[in-house]
Amino acid sequence: MDYSSEQSQQKRRGFLDPRTKLAVTLVLAVFVMGGLGGDQLRYIKGVLSALPFLLLLTERQWRRFVRGAAMLAAGYGLLLAMPYLSGILNYLALFCGGILTRFAVTVVMGEYLIATTSVSEFISAMERLRVPQSLTIPMSVMFRLFPTIGAEWRSIRKAMLMRGIRLGGTKTGQMLEYQLVPMMTSTVRIGEELSASALTRGLGGSTRRTNICLIGLRIQDYVLLAGCLFTVIVWLLELCGMKLW
Amino acid sequence: MVELRKVSFRYGSEDAQSNTENSLTDIDLTVQSGEFVLLTGPSGCGKTTVLRLINGLIPHFYPGTVEGDVFIDGESANKRELYETALSVGTVFQNPHSQFYNVDTTGELAFGCENRGLSEKEIYSRIDDTVCRFHIEKLMDRNIFRLSDGEKQKIACASVDVAGTDIILLDEPSANLDHEATLALRELIQCWRTQGKTIIAAEHRIAWLWELIDRVVILRNGRIVRELSGKEKNVLKQDELTALGLRSLHIEGPDDIDLPVITEADDPIILRDFYLRYSDADHPVVDIKTLRLASRRITAITGPNGAGKTSFLNCLCGLEKRCRGTIEYRGKRYDRKARQKLCFMVMQDAGNQLFTESVLEEVLISMPGNKSDDKKQAIRILRKLDLDSFRDRHPQSLSGGQKQRLAIACALASGREILLLDEPTSGLDHAHMMETAALLKQLEEMGTTILVITHDSELIRACCSRKLSFSVK
Repeated sequence: MDYSSEQSQQKRRGFLDPRTKLAVTLVLAVFVMGGLGGDQLRYIKGVLSALPFLLLLTERQWRRFVRGAAMLAAGYGLLLAMPYLSGILNYLALFCGGILTRFAVTVVMGEYLIATTSVSEFISAMERLRVPQSLTIPMSVMFRLFPTIGAEWRSIRKAMLMRGIRLGGTKTGQMLEYQLVPMMTSTVRIGEELSASALTRGLGGSTRRTNICLIGLRIQDYVLLAGCLFTVIVWLLELCGMKLW
Repeated sequence: MVELRKVSFRYGSEDAQSNTENSLTDIDLTVQSGEFVLLTGPSGCGKTTVLRLINGLIPHFYPGTVEGDVFIDGESANKRELYETALSVGTVFQNPHSQFYNVDTTGELAFGCENRGLSEKEIYSRIDDTVCRFHIEKLMDRNIFRLSDGEKQKIACASVDVAGTDIILLDEPSANLDHEATLALRELIQCWRTQGKTIIAAEHRIAWLWELIDRVVILRNGRIVRELSGKEKNVLKQDELTALGLRSLHIEGPDDIDLPVITEADDPIILRDFYLRYSDADHPVVDIKTLRLASRRITAITGPNGAGKTSFLNCLCGLEKRCRGTIEYRGKRYDRKARQKLCFMVMQDAGNQLFTESVLEEVLISMPGNKSDDKKQAIRILRKLDLDSFRDRHPQSLSGGQKQRLAIACALASGREILLLDEPTSGLDHAHMMETAALLKQLEEMGTTILVITHDSELIRACCSRKLSFSVK
């Protein structure tokens, strides 16, 4: 079996350029999650909210799609059920429903961004945006550190359960402290080992880095970027008091 | 060529009060081009520190006071920047979980070359060449988080190979690997030997590379105590090695040791319907209809990485919600929840299961009730495990071996009767391994049932009397 890294790299090329993903995430965070913009943007927001789900489908991320859709459905379900509930339950439904419907879309987009962007694609995109290395490197380490921290977190939870420290037990009050003590130690250690390894492989040198990943703007990127721009323009016009429809 | 001339080193910033001891003292070491040198010695002898001096992490990343000179190909290493040293020295580290910068394997292989700004075409052809020589086609274009430890270590070696440095450092590369993966690693090193690379390895487990090396350097307390050339090392006797605090030279896989799972005389623990399948896997990782294990004995659990040993222990001690098996122990039936109070697991990274501010408190929170003589009892346990003098230390400041002992102390304090251990001796030197073995023996005499996952044949030889083997389905 002859392996060709160049061919497989071409096959693996993502649907979108990382820069487009970042722009869409930003617009979603500001307008959908942040709730910026008034009536004029309602329909645009509807279209924007559907975007991350469509993107997950194009990259065949079925599980993330289902999880995200379930989150959103739960949110709207709560808002629909709210009028029939009374007292504290009513507030609770409003509160949870509001948070879920606002956050779900952006969270799904963030997941899509992290899941489909490799570290080297991210660095490469940042270089093309002329972001300095001193910013890019710590940000790219995040990609690597998050899954690692997640794994540590789960392992510590397991250890606590085994030691008999659980909600409702005698040590409920100290649970957070108990979780954080080993967490901090191991995060610092992992961060240190990661940096040491990256440095012995020449990261941070003065020569210009190259990148084997393939990125670049294609038609789908231009369409989405235009969409983002359009959203911002509509919002600005709205601010100036102009009515488009 | 690598040369260390009268090198001494002390960790810590230069202006700090120098009450710390030297990590290295008067090291003179010359490694010729194309030579393969093994650095070995008990834990804390300074092996890793020597490697850090060569790859430049000392003093550029780990600060400290260096005396003497380190030369790489005739140039002084202390004065060179790290990225310059990276052009000629590549390192494979011990921990397979924290030496990757990328999340995908292909990106990882390219990383070193990308940093030096080689052209894309050149990088592609280097990767293809390495993939072909190392036979790792199956590992390409994969998520590194989904690889086994053995596979991760192969990728680490491959990325050093793609970078193409002439000098290769190995820092306990086999510590987390099973027998088969260790032998596979040996093949990769052999591949480098034929290319004439200069290799310096720091290792406890010396058997698997003993045949390949040109020279052995034995360190102790930061000094070189013995140097053996190829001829000298071949006539060395095992008891001399043991006297030097070294591990066995005998290459033996856990499968070569013949032990029963259970005997007629044993009081059995009966496991029923242990079944676990992860949602993204085709086959169950644990699938046991009935199984009888010996209580009050030390049973080794062996098998390759990824055979489901750790998953099995998780099921057994009731941490795996999806597994509904039950066990019968001394005439009583235990379901999942009940087993959480019966079993105690000492995890691979024992630091992750210590939560409090002091060693004593750690043992105290494990005590089942709140009785007035708890403290006396806790101190008694600490004394038994030689931890009494650390009573007020922060658990996270202990060494790896001490953390493990403390976890075992907590197990004793909790009064649980079944003790499970996951790889307790990976990366331990001979003396510490024997200490762990002795401790397990002591617990066995007190009536504890012990199950220990291990790749370490020496540990099995030293203390286990029963063995359960797992295989990959």
